[in-house]
Amino acid sequence: MQHQQIEPISIKEYFGNIFSAVKTSLKGMGITIKYVFAVKPVTIEYPDVKEVLPEGARQRLYNDVVNCISCTNCALACPVDCIYITSVRRPKSDDVPKTDDGTAKRQILTQYIIDTALCCYCGLCTTVCPTECLTHSTDYEFSQYTADEMKYDYMAPDIIAWRDRIVK
Amino acid sequence: MQTWDLEDFGEVKSEKLKSELLTVNMGPQHPATHGVLRVEIKTDSEVVAEAIPHIGYLHRCMEKHCEALDYRGVIPFVDRMDYLASMSQEWTYVLAVEKLLGTEVPKRAEYIRIIVAELQRIASHLMAFGTYALDLGAFSPFLYAFEERETILRLFEEVSGARLLYNYIWIGGVWNDFSDEQLKRVQAFIKHMDKEVDKYNNLVSHNRIFVERTANVGILTLEDIRQFGATGPVARGSGYAWDLRKVEPYGLYDQFEFDIPVGEGEEGTVGDCWNRYMVRMKEMKESIKIIQQALDGIEAGDIQGKVSKVIKPPKGEVYMRTECPRGELGIHLVSDGSKNPYRLKVKSPCFTHTSMLGHMGPGQMIADFVASIGSIDIVLGEVDR
Repeated sequence: MQHQQIEPISIKEYFGNIFSAVKTSLKGMGITIKYVFAVKPVTIEYPDVKEVLPEGARQRLYNDVVNCISCTNCALACPVDCIYITSVRRPKSDDVPKTDDGTAKRQILTQYIIDTALCCYCGLCTTVCPTECLTHSTDYEFSQYTADEMKYDYMAPDIIAWRDRIVK
Repeated sequence: MQTWDLEDFGEVKSEKLKSELLTVNMGPQHPATHGVLRVEIKTDSEVVAEAIPHIGYLHRCMEKHCEALDYRGVIPFVDRMDYLASMSQEWTYVLAVEKLLGTEVPKRAEYIRIIVAELQRIASHLMAFGTYALDLGAFSPFLYAFEERETILRLFEEVSGARLLYNYIWIGGVWNDFSDEQLKRVQAFIKHMDKEVDKYNNLVSHNRIFVERTANVGILTLEDIRQFGATGPVARGSGYAWDLRKVEPYGLYDQFEFDIPVGEGEEGTVGDCWNRYMVRMKEMKESIKIIQQALDGIEAGDIQGKVSKVIKPPKGEVYMRTECPRGELGIHLVSDGSKNPYRLKVKSPCFTHTSMLGHMGPGQMIADFVASIGSIDIVLGEVDR
């Protein structure tokens, strides 16, 4: 194994190197000093100041079960299979209720669970939804202590209460 | 009690005292490896005698998994290969499917694709520039780079909904349209970015300390480039003017005017770390030129072509390659006529470049080896997939 040999340099080159190092470093320092005085801070002090995400941001999913027709399009489109839906056929004697946009709800939704821990936030499920009841909210703070708590049951009353906050 | 014979010690001195190579594991958790790469280095004092890259720490069976998904569902997975340049990766996959289907893409969607892909190239090169300076011990360039990258990511977040893994380029078009206000912001950004690149050149590129660290280090000759099959900025840094946007134009690139920057050896020799780095800085300027032309040429219209609800391409196979920020990404897609791909094979530029580490390593100091790893700018998500 040959070690690298450092080639000898003349005194002129030696001082030339030092001179150009100082010169180019000062050039950089000029930019740094400009930042100290002339540029406003760009960071957000996160827990105190919360960032407002743009309207289209894809964060936590929300399903408005009142408008869900149990078509299971979202579960089929999901690339990671994190949406669990079950429903039963509505008896013929019953009246068929309608969603806000007038689609008939022919099935009774019995379970609508999304495992948010598995969700990859790709947004494919929201694009196939015929009644547009499944949407991404801009809510990004939802960490939990266990993976089980990340399973959201959208039939549960505490999650239905989100509706007032998210759906306008 | 054991007794010692002095002559034993004499023997040790004369015969048994010898030097041997020391094995050092660089990684998997090493800040200079840009991910989870482990390089097994055999060192002779501080000189690398042998370097063996070990990969596979980020393997996610992406290619096999895609066989179980429908054609639209693959896009989020393709995003996750090279997480710093998702737009370019998506575009490659979508072009492959469109080639198989024979879909026509509306003009406006083509322009939007070029705008987002070139913005992504700038964002990716900013990351390469920032982390390279970080590898060599300069911290503030990293923050300057992130400030500009944030503008791009915020724009992408508004348009597509996500900051890194967009799922924005769809088969037959794009998801959302750019509003006029957003196009104006792109215009303002590229005007600002043009000055920023000059600032980075003043701050880092021609700084004597930076040049001393990178010039004449990790030289790859044209023959090496040909032997290993390197592409992208690594090949161009060695003076090989190969850019698929010119050589094999896809999208609307044949209507755009731009140059292929190659390493010219202003500092050091052609093919060293400094020239590879400089190619990226010059490419940012070229991307700005392309975005400017796209903004001038963009016209109103549809953003989504006609694609059936369930995508079932005809039987056949297709190979599509595009120029991603890190090099040439190829996707080989085989269809058996069903709604899932039969096989999806990815040819990744980072994998090729990682294999060059074993060639670049021997004879370098360890600190120079870190500079070499940084200069080929690999993303381990794409190496392992």
